[in-house]
Amino acid sequence: MNSMNNTINEIKAALKPLKMETPAFRQIAVVVKPDTVHNALSYLKQKGFTQLSIVTCVDWIKESEFELVYILFSWTEGIHIQLRARIDRDKPVMVTATDIFPGAQYYEREVHEFFGVEFTGNEDAAKPLFLEIWDDLPPLRKDFDPQAYSDSKFPMRERGNEFVSEIGGHDDE
Amino acid sequence: MNEVKLFLGPQHPGMHGNYSVHMYVDGDIIKKARPTPGFLHRGFEKLMERRYWMGNLALIPRICVPEPDTNEMVYAMGVEALANIEIPEKAHWIRMLVLEMARVAIHLMSLGSIGGPTGLYTATYWAIAQRDLLLDLFEELCGARIYHMYIVPGGVRKDLPEGFTDKVLAMMDELDEKIPEYEDLILKHPVIHARTKDNILLPAEVVWELGVTGIGMRSAVGKEYDLRKVKPYAYYDKVDFEVPTATYSDALTRLNLKVRELYQSMRIIRQVIDKMPSKGAVNVPVSTGSALRWTVPAGMVYSAVESSRGEYGYFIVSDGKEMPYRIAVRGASYPQGLLGIEKYLKGHRIDDASLWMDSMGVCTPEIDR
Repeated sequence: MNSMNNTINEIKAALKPLKMETPAFRQIAVVVKPDTVHNALSYLKQKGFTQLSIVTCVDWIKESEFELVYILFSWTEGIHIQLRARIDRDKPVMVTATDIFPGAQYYEREVHEFFGVEFTGNEDAAKPLFLEIWDDLPPLRKDFDPQAYSDSKFPMRERGNEFVSEIGGHDDE
Repeated sequence: MNEVKLFLGPQHPGMHGNYSVHMYVDGDIIKKARPTPGFLHRGFEKLMERRYWMGNLALIPRICVPEPDTNEMVYAMGVEALANIEIPEKAHWIRMLVLEMARVAIHLMSLGSIGGPTGLYTATYWAIAQRDLLLDLFEELCGARIYHMYIVPGGVRKDLPEGFTDKVLAMMDELDEKIPEYEDLILKHPVIHARTKDNILLPAEVVWELGVTGIGMRSAVGKEYDLRKVKPYAYYDKVDFEVPTATYSDALTRLNLKVRELYQSMRIIRQVIDKMPSKGAVNVPVSTGSALRWTVPAGMVYSAVESSRGEYGYFIVSDGKEMPYRIAVRGASYPQGLLGIEKYLKGHRIDDASLWMDSMGVCTPEIDR
């Protein structure tokens, strides 16, 4: 546990985070301002957090903010870090992390596709990935309604009895 | 030269699930490769936001089809961390038993599935048949063969059936006899050697660049980078086991490590059965009231376990209500399955493309989700 406390103190001194907590066993959550995310990532990588586990996003629609989450892991210390930063929901822009963690490439593409966050410096981020010919709001936003989308794309079809007999189902007589 | 565009997949005998790779080839050599995921995208992350905490249990095992228990474990661990509850001792032991049985099952399956890309179908038949006998045990445990929904937030669903541990031990004895046969068939087979030795290399720099974990990482880096050792969950710090490693990672090394991990999993299972208390509760409620209407305190937590392909994690956000606010899934093979294919599939031969996917452990349902 000592190394955990040391790590917490060092991160606190170096990054001056807005908030810090330990949500689970050997896990540290660090909340920073969005313009310091890039520096924080390269600092943490130097400190031994060499693995980027995931980049993801949370839609806080009531506060009109997106929260970007970077999960890092240190294989030498066995500590997970959540690096979080909130950005404006109406104009979501973040600097890419691909120059520090090349593996962030596809996570950023995914966040762009599902939330509409722009990543400056990542030219491929805007390319479609999982969704095909998508023409609606980014689907993991909270204001996207899957039921309405499904109803508009796949309208209910009325079927009469003639269809049933056509495929050799029930006989009405 | 003339460049031709070829499609690998969406269906292919050497791949797990539907996945497509667009390959630009010149002769037999792949010059450029583009991964095209999405065939198995079922929108799990959105679906989970619209279901109760307990109701999600029906969804999560389906995220990675051959490895359901890992999903249940990460989900349960995350919810327990948010709700800040301690689960009973026996539940920890049962979870370890189930997780290691699942690891044996998936290692058998992926060991046998080397038959798909190499044409050695005997391996597939043997290993899948053996895995089926293991699934019989799961059926006795929880009524389901593939999607168990057995590890739940707060513990496990029910205590072990009577005489279950004896059957598991008998199965381990049987595997002790059978696995050497698979080794003879697969690891010593000239066809497998010709296709996998010194082929599909994974240097340590690439591991760090992509973020590959699991057998891929350990076979290249040579360190015991296994979450069960580095950041133990359940009671993995109370059992003895080794983490096989290597410093030269070709496809054959990774196959070898897989077999050696099988033996370690069996060693863990025997210790778990030995150390497990015979009596005691196996679950505690996460919250008050009906399990279908549980609430989980607000918070954000990332939980991760060592799956057969590496670090498998859920990032879970709760706003204190009856449903999760957001769940993000980190599939273990995401790094090699997307960026890995784009950057490192080129230069290989066409016939090695599906072998590449297999030996890197690309599992498509967890990439698409």
